[in-house]
Amino acid sequence: MTKELEKILPLVQKPARYTGGEYRAVVKDKSQVDFRVAFCFPDTYEIGMSNLGMRILYGVMNGLPGVWCERVFAPWGDMEEQLRAHGIPLYGLESGDPMGDFDLIAFSLGYEMAYTNVLNMLDLAGIPVRRADRDGSHPLVIAGGTCCYNPEPLSDFIDVFSLGEGEDVTVEMLQVCRKAKAEGWSREELLRALAQVPGLYVPSLVDVTYGPDGTIQSMVPREGVKLPVLKRIVSDLNTSYYPTQTIVPSTEIVHDRVMLEVFRGCIRGCRFCQAGYAYRPVRAKDPQVLIQQGIAACKDSGYQEMTLSSLSTSDYRPLVELCDGLLDYCAPRDIGLSLPSLRADNFSMSLMQRLQSVRKSGLTFAPEAGTQRLRDVINKNVTEEDLKQSCRVAFSGGWSSVKLYFMLGLPTETDEDVLGIADLAKKVLAWGREYGPHQRGGVRVTVSTACFVPKPHTAFQWEAQVDMEEYMRRVTLLRENMRERNITYNWHDPDTSFLEAVFSRGDRRLGAALYEAWRQGAKFDAWSEYFDLQRWLDAFQTCGLDPHFYANRERGREEVFPWEVTSTGVSRAFLARERKRAYQAVITPDCRKQCSGCGANQFCPGGVCDA
Amino acid sequence: MPKDRLLFVKEGRARYISHLDLMRTFQRAFLRADIPIKHTEGFHPHPFISIALPLSLGFSSRCELLEFGLLEGTTHEEVPARLNAALPEGVRVLTCYPGQRPTRELQWVLYELRVDRAGDAPELCRAWGELLGRESWKVEKPSKKVKTGAVTVDIPTLVKEFTFTDITETGCVLQIALSAQNPGLNPSVMVNALTEACPQFTPEFVQYERLEILDRDGKIFR
Repeated sequence: MTKELEKILPLVQKPARYTGGEYRAVVKDKSQVDFRVAFCFPDTYEIGMSNLGMRILYGVMNGLPGVWCERVFAPWGDMEEQLRAHGIPLYGLESGDPMGDFDLIAFSLGYEMAYTNVLNMLDLAGIPVRRADRDGSHPLVIAGGTCCYNPEPLSDFIDVFSLGEGEDVTVEMLQVCRKAKAEGWSREELLRALAQVPGLYVPSLVDVTYGPDGTIQSMVPREGVKLPVLKRIVSDLNTSYYPTQTIVPSTEIVHDRVMLEVFRGCIRGCRFCQAGYAYRPVRAKDPQVLIQQGIAACKDSGYQEMTLSSLSTSDYRPLVELCDGLLDYCAPRDIGLSLPSLRADNFSMSLMQRLQSVRKSGLTFAPEAGTQRLRDVINKNVTEEDLKQSCRVAFSGGWSSVKLYFMLGLPTETDEDVLGIADLAKKVLAWGREYGPHQRGGVRVTVSTACFVPKPHTAFQWEAQVDMEEYMRRVTLLRENMRERNITYNWHDPDTSFLEAVFSRGDRRLGAALYEAWRQGAKFDAWSEYFDLQRWLDAFQTCGLDPHFYANRERGREEVFPWEVTSTGVSRAFLARERKRAYQAVITPDCRKQCSGCGANQFCPGGVCDA
Repeated sequence: MPKDRLLFVKEGRARYISHLDLMRTFQRAFLRADIPIKHTEGFHPHPFISIALPLSLGFSSRCELLEFGLLEGTTHEEVPARLNAALPEGVRVLTCYPGQRPTRELQWVLYELRVDRAGDAPELCRAWGELLGRESWKVEKPSKKVKTGAVTVDIPTLVKEFTFTDITETGCVLQIALSAQNPGLNPSVMVNALTEACPQFTPEFVQYERLEILDRDGKIFR
């Protein structure tokens, strides 16, 4: 650690975030390393270290001899101020070396509101933020993560995007980069070679033209480049890398526990859910592999808590076998096992009792919409009866508080649907009184609503987001009709949802606004301490862009979408079909009941998914 | 309760691990090293771990004490090596032994302060030495424990002895034994008071290190 850094660390909050040196942090001998990666997470240490994808790829890259991957997180404002005041460039936590000395800078992009932090981190590293201002003397800047399913808004800043799951493509990409470094290729040669790697998208090799109405006219790849770029997946999770030996932070992080991923993909097909479409096809891990990995991870980390993660854990067929196997190890050692993402429809008594034997936490359900009609529109196949069953089990099992998540502004939503949320919350309260141990009071219901954000690669990618005034009107309507003392109502701030809607379906022209907003001080937009909508509105105006064009406009059936440079494997025709069914309020059965022909089976050997 | 002790070093990057985080780090390290230790009793039993004299964030130390209870099956001799393999960089166990004396007999802490001050370090030493050597020098110290938000501290009564060494062009080293507890004096509080009293000698930077813990008679405490 340099003396300069030692001098500023006592001046900032939680300095342990900026020191590295944690248990299992990888420190390599520089003389044995020919390629260095700065793996950047554009949010705080506490959030970035909670990301399983980051831990997986850190392990994958450091598993390669000759490659050293280090971590970089976005410094909080106080630290940024000190770094800038003392002229200290942003550095890798493991070595303390400035980011500019690395060969590759890789960002993990999970949330649109973190985009300004990407720019800010490059700037803090002393690297030109726009790719047009960089050349072969600068590190190559790549990005991966779910946001890359629409890479265009960041295409002014990122050289290469990696689509889908990174375990394999990262290794292939590093091979090309190391060869380029060893043989002294030009940046142009390197980019052209990377464009040939399946799953990598190089925005500088695609030209975009626009029509008079502002929509995209064409996206033309340069010679030798193919579009769309199909995402990559890992076909066998049992043999793919899982970090049983992983960094144990010395300071508290958000998810400070063993994270065990039970499967990827989701059988459900909720029409608003990008993850549900983008992670197809479903691939499960063998329960015995999971038990062995979970135990190994507990032993290696000393964590006293484990969580099972997936998009819908109760759809994991051998869930009971898995929980029993893990509990045999966890229960006698007081290791807590938690299962988020349980569905309300098949929440079983026996499973809950098993978990209860270790530790009891609050229960959360996400009906998403207040009426059955609207739940059918979004294909959230949960009925009121399902919810009642689950609540009965929960309340009679001793739980006394239930959280309910909803979205407002879903396509076709009427005031009746909004008021349906209040009805449902009151019913849950009544069930609590009926089935709970305390006949009077003691039951708490928390209702949360967020503003619906239409996402690319979903059945609702054509939809307009309701404007902020309308969202707030619905919030007020709901609040005025849900005044019960035992019901708490929280609503998500619509300003960030609006900006999220702009960027999630934006095109590359937004790069100018992103740059301008960042120049005017935008960063950590996911944090209310920093977020300022006016700054963004000003930036859009300065750049001559209309944010409502992106967020609040219903898009034409045949319109070319910016994100169509990428493909999740799920076809546009299927999504259009799903949209039509949504308007008819017709549900589509889950993938186990019946294949709906989405197209993701192209990833499966023999064309058949193991849903 | 348990009376086994660890003597450990906290240095380098580990200096920025806070007291609470360090307790959690040790709890996990015992689990990683597969060294079973005694737990608290009650509804939510957790491993019993207590670190004497919490160290300020950013300070290094060669003499931290951790109290815990070793369960049967592990010898004191094997603990340091096994635990060190499970601890983060900068936290290093020197010895493990059964504690004999209660920690309340711990009276003094010997600190080393590396003071950066270009140009006039000798003058700084003289000014600071004069203040620390007085019979009495009362200063206000901020405190969360009292309503007024500040308590009066008579600094020289909390100083056992001090020497300035290595006085150079760029600074000096102050070795000073300060009261450990009831009441204790944090050397950074002392430096703040010295700086306030002689602002013309404001140090550019001070690095703090605990060198040794002593009993009432100035003998090494274990």
